[in-house]
Amino acid sequence: MEKVLDIQNLHAAFSIQKKDYEVLHDISFSINRNETVCVVGESGCGKSVTTLCIMQLLPKNGKIQSGSIYVDGTDLTKLSKKEVRKFRGKKMGMIFQEPMTALNPLLTIGFQLRENIINHRGASKKEANAIAIEYLKKVGIANPEQRLKQYPFQLSGGLRQRVLIAMVLSAQPDLLIADEPTTALDVTIQKQVLSLLNDLKKDMNAGILFITHDLGVVAEIADRVVVLYAGRKVEEGTTHQIFKNPLHPYTIGLMNAVPNVDLDEFEIRPIPGTFPNITEKIDGCRFNPRCPHASSCPKCFETAPEMIEAEPGHFVACHLKK
Amino acid sequence: MNTEKVLIKTRKLKKYFPINKTTNLKAVEDITLQIYEGEKFGVVGESGCGKSTLGRVMLQLYPQTSGSCVYFGKSIQELNPKYIQKEINHLKTYQTKASEFYQDSVKIDQEVEQLEAQRRVLDVNGSSVDAKKYDKISKKIALKEFKSKELKKNASRQLREGSRTVGSLILCENIEEIADLFTKAEEEVKKAHECLVKLNEHQNKVYENEVLINQKQTVDASIQELEAKNELNEEEEYQLADLIATKKNVQNVDIVKLEEENKQIAPIIEDLKNQIKKHHEIEMGYRDQAFAFKGKNVLPITERTLDPAYQAKLDENYETGINLSKLTKSEMRSIRKDMQMIFQDPAASLDPRQSIGSAIEEVFAINTDMPKRVRKEKAMQLLTRVGLKREHYYSYPHALSGGQKQRVGIARAIALDPSFIVLDEAVSALDVSVQAQILQLLNDLSEEKNLTYFFITHDLGVVKHFCDRIMVMYLGNVCELADSKELFKHRLHPYTESLLDSVPRLTLQEDRKKVEILEGEVPSAMNPPQGCPFHTRCKKCMEICKSEKPEYVEAMPNHFVACHLYKKEEK
Repeated sequence: MEKVLDIQNLHAAFSIQKKDYEVLHDISFSINRNETVCVVGESGCGKSVTTLCIMQLLPKNGKIQSGSIYVDGTDLTKLSKKEVRKFRGKKMGMIFQEPMTALNPLLTIGFQLRENIINHRGASKKEANAIAIEYLKKVGIANPEQRLKQYPFQLSGGLRQRVLIAMVLSAQPDLLIADEPTTALDVTIQKQVLSLLNDLKKDMNAGILFITHDLGVVAEIADRVVVLYAGRKVEEGTTHQIFKNPLHPYTIGLMNAVPNVDLDEFEIRPIPGTFPNITEKIDGCRFNPRCPHASSCPKCFETAPEMIEAEPGHFVACHLKK
Repeated sequence: MNTEKVLIKTRKLKKYFPINKTTNLKAVEDITLQIYEGEKFGVVGESGCGKSTLGRVMLQLYPQTSGSCVYFGKSIQELNPKYIQKEINHLKTYQTKASEFYQDSVKIDQEVEQLEAQRRVLDVNGSSVDAKKYDKISKKIALKEFKSKELKKNASRQLREGSRTVGSLILCENIEEIADLFTKAEEEVKKAHECLVKLNEHQNKVYENEVLINQKQTVDASIQELEAKNELNEEEEYQLADLIATKKNVQNVDIVKLEEENKQIAPIIEDLKNQIKKHHEIEMGYRDQAFAFKGKNVLPITERTLDPAYQAKLDENYETGINLSKLTKSEMRSIRKDMQMIFQDPAASLDPRQSIGSAIEEVFAINTDMPKRVRKEKAMQLLTRVGLKREHYYSYPHALSGGQKQRVGIARAIALDPSFIVLDEAVSALDVSVQAQILQLLNDLSEEKNLTYFFITHDLGVVKHFCDRIMVMYLGNVCELADSKELFKHRLHPYTESLLDSVPRLTLQEDRKKVEILEGEVPSAMNPPQGCPFHTRCKKCMEICKSEKPEYVEAMPNHFVACHLYKKEEK
């Protein structure tokens, strides 16, 4: 299968007061065409930084230390700023969490959609208008002709998110990055947007990188799942493997912490302790202060566990699974 | 559940936000509910359904448009609100006004009869002769009938208002005598309240002295104990610094003098308690005298007043709790100690330039007159209670994680031992693992302090496992209200069903049954749909839904629903 995105041994760091703190440590994963990969983790685990690395949009104090990011076979880390611009938007599109801040409130929906299409597909204004209407129809917006003349404030949150999806798709990217696109929406609207993405997946012929912290959303949309904890990949597998047979104590803890609507009895079982700060130094496995099994395993405090393949396609980084 | 004590009762609570002269944003419509003591009451709905507004109106952070919200956590004696005397003075006016309104309506009814007689004459003579005049009279009749109806409504409204203070006594002929008795009772309440204020002052003084004595007695031993250790960890070092500071504080404290003081206060406290008891007895005596008039000398103010069923209904209106909307600002302030709120965004509710310690202490500084050292001790106790460390007293909000900040928010809310807390999406901004920790803390606190929660959220998983009863709201209206297990087992309202189907599940696609997606979006509350507010998106929509608002009925025991699919059973 063709790989749309291939990240290899990515290390990234932020410098705070002239000191470098590692936020991503040896991250590798790939996305095939027509596949949805979910990256899950708590806030601060590095999932948004991963997307910023791919888009080459890291803030000034952040930098990629080593590793490579291949999009469509080209290593983005080796390109100049000018060359990256040709990739951004055209080959890889991004949907953000807050649709209001992603749209310009002073311009009509139509202007913003057309601008994108003219830039990336070299269409004339008339053609761009037709394409914009076509894509608005695709994302399930009724009377697209009228919507084109409207401003963002005239649309509801769910509609704005649909417009953004249409905007990103109209450039026909190979990779779609969605950073918590449904977190700010109500459950009923979230369901609509998720099912829309699921329907579009078939005919847009691209790979989707979906960032979320909601495990319910993962079950809804993902083909494969990558679990991050404190800048490290702790587990990777197909959605089936992760949900039926979670291996890493952190993944198990996350699953137990979600109050499940389907269960009649549920005991609140939080993961003890707090998420480590990036300035905090933890030897061995980063999860050891919160892990229920660490006390019986001295190795967890000494060396960081390596990724092992527990079953075909299912990777986990834990000393206990050797 | 019904045998438990009611803490808050709302009746037809409404909140409209005016947008311009003609339009209102109807945020909350006719909410009638009872919240029991020690209960965790959950409210779910999409954004804009009015759940936050309802929480705030109950705390009187927004003034309500109409309806009442009565609080039973504190007795009238404890607060001694001013509005009661005002209402008592007004009793006679209520009665006379009601009777005036009714007399006027009767007069208009007579006029209507005359007009009808005129119309009949025209009818007999053949309607085709003077159709114009016939129409004119018909219009007049309709107008007068409407006027009379309004007047009758006004009459019963006056009686209802009066009945809030005295029940069905409002119908009695000797209303002046009754008002007199109630005034006398009210004076006793005032005296008892004055004693209570004094009592609290003395009790606080005793508590303060005890804290100081205890600190002085134990501080040296604790310091020695810590110093005896060879190595101190970080936490113990903080403790030591803390203890040394305390020692300095209590240096000049004279234990003998303080104990002497406490001994002197003890009989005063006893005396005050007896006085309060005496005042209460006298007060109850006056009230009993007043209620002896019940059912006697009932005035025929309106046609219904002689009906015992109507009298019973008026008796039901008699309020033993405190009507929050009638309180003055300063009275509301003092009652707000009992009713606290925890907000969604913990970072926004803390001042970044204020240390955690002073943020918590502020609560005591404003609401009590504790001296600084007692406040500090109290704040530190609270920090340990919510799972933080004593040394967090000195840190600033930026040094804390989201979960820790929310713990500070909780510490502030429980500082004054409230009985009722509104949690407005208190765990929505937190990560799942931290969210579970906070829920556990809230659970422990509610058991320990017998707190009542009004838990506002959009997360159905959380309400299901955290709350005892759940209310589902849509566009300012109640859709369904039931015990949480019951609601999830038998979802009656189509909206509840769609909402539950929309929740992202932890089950895989392959194990899941296909569900229908709720189409469309929530209509604007400025211009809500006619009839059932949900009919525009409902898949079971019938003709009646478009025109008539469904009644709120008990479809199953303790399971209320507002939907035309469930009709009131004829008994």
